[in-house]
Amino acid sequence: MADFTEDQIIRYSRHIVLPQVGGKGQKKIRESKVLLIGAGGLGSPAGYYLAAAGVGRLGIVDQDEVDLSNLQRQILHRTADIGRPKTHSARDRIIELNPDVEVVPYQTSLTSDNVMEIIEDYDLVVNGCDNFPTRYLLNDACVLADKTIVDGSIFVFEGQATVFKPHVGPCYRCLYPEPPPPGMVPSCQEAGVLGVLPGIIGSIQAMEALKLILEIGEPLIGRLLLYDALATEFRILKIRRDPDCPVCGDNPTITELIDYEEFCGLRPARC
Amino acid sequence: MLTDRDRERYSRQILMDRLGEEGQERLKSSTVGVFGCGGLGTITSLYFAAAGVGRLVLVDSQKPDLSNLNRQVLHWEKDVTEGVSKAESAKYKLSNFNRDIVVEAHTAMVTEDNIEEFFGETDMVVDCLDNFESRLLLNRFCIETGRPMVYAAVHGFYGQLTSIIPGKTPCLRCIFPESPPPEPFFPIIGVTPGVLGLLEATETIKNIVGLPGTLRGELLIVDLLSYEMGKVKTGFDNQCSVCGKWRK
Repeated sequence: MADFTEDQIIRYSRHIVLPQVGGKGQKKIRESKVLLIGAGGLGSPAGYYLAAAGVGRLGIVDQDEVDLSNLQRQILHRTADIGRPKTHSARDRIIELNPDVEVVPYQTSLTSDNVMEIIEDYDLVVNGCDNFPTRYLLNDACVLADKTIVDGSIFVFEGQATVFKPHVGPCYRCLYPEPPPPGMVPSCQEAGVLGVLPGIIGSIQAMEALKLILEIGEPLIGRLLLYDALATEFRILKIRRDPDCPVCGDNPTITELIDYEEFCGLRPARC
Repeated sequence: MLTDRDRERYSRQILMDRLGEEGQERLKSSTVGVFGCGGLGTITSLYFAAAGVGRLVLVDSQKPDLSNLNRQVLHWEKDVTEGVSKAESAKYKLSNFNRDIVVEAHTAMVTEDNIEEFFGETDMVVDCLDNFESRLLLNRFCIETGRPMVYAAVHGFYGQLTSIIPGKTPCLRCIFPESPPPEPFFPIIGVTPGVLGLLEATETIKNIVGLPGTLRGELLIVDLLSYEMGKVKTGFDNQCSVCGKWRK
């Protein structure tokens, strides 16, 4: 603990006293670099709790600006932030909470041209993106660069979370080889969402990220956690890597990034 | 009545068939008590503010210290330095987050004699406490005044949760006839109260809006290390010193 200040030891003391964390674990958390894709409904609680836990660097990728209708679930932004880039208000809030965290904002969408360069600097990617092209793009990029994704998604009253660790468990494509036909899956804008639902899934993503950083517990590799907010029920489904997966399978056919807009046949939906 | 601004701000939840304008109006016209502004209370109140609960009553006697900041996301380093109380610190952040709701803060020790003063006008109270003595005080008050409450507790990577509806479900004393020993410096990872606080907020919103599937007579057990989650049925204690006579 020699290289933590006295204040830092007090700040993280409730973690440090956990046998699963200790001084060694807190050091691992501080040395970790986590990339958040999206500072929205999932990214907000994930960002808050990763920052509170003392993660060393938090990258935040988001191209959007704060809108009044976001505030029903996106707790990193305040009323006065309406119209500001989400990466800016997210950075302000995180630094107010914990100035020890280095926040790196990327006010851009994730594209085939910039994804490899952005993910390169991070140990882990927490995915809170809201559209299919970005999900496939991020998945393929992370398989190619051997980066683990902590994935989360929500729909009305149902949420799910899992961890895609390349070549150890399945990837997103093993689960969903093809995107749904355009227009088949309604967005939050069309179907609505209970604000607390992305809160729960985003917090669980933060938990998974910390478990991976600390190498403790049973992370959701090869397991899909399903949460039904209406029934208040959690279920776990076993999921397997597909040996024929075009990107992480035994004989991959996708060895470089493709055009994901075209692959998904749609413009990105907003959530 | 909802304003045009409400309709836009809460549009994503008004769109939901099971909530709609009626559900949003119920949230707007409700007053929720948040007893404790620590790990559970900061996140529940943040999501109540986000969801548009019309009036929040925050009660806590303490000031934040540095060791709280790994989980109590509404308190910042400057609040520790300036010595602002937890209730006031939370009120300030919540009011900035959503200017369209009313937030009341009370920095006070709650006792049997004054609890009515704080929670007497609430529709529901959320137990965001860290000690059993205060929980029992709240439990008794809620049973005696016929007020629903939501209970949650956390430790390390584990947590539990239930709804207590006076006359309909067992009360906290029925579920826990013996008080656990106090643990002033309990170990906790920040996300645990995060998840449990969010589950409490969900449970409260479902109770207010009238959605199905609330944890009535069931205790949800959460293990965030393995995700072995389970529900345990809770039973009435006919000899219960708190709710026994009210049920007769």
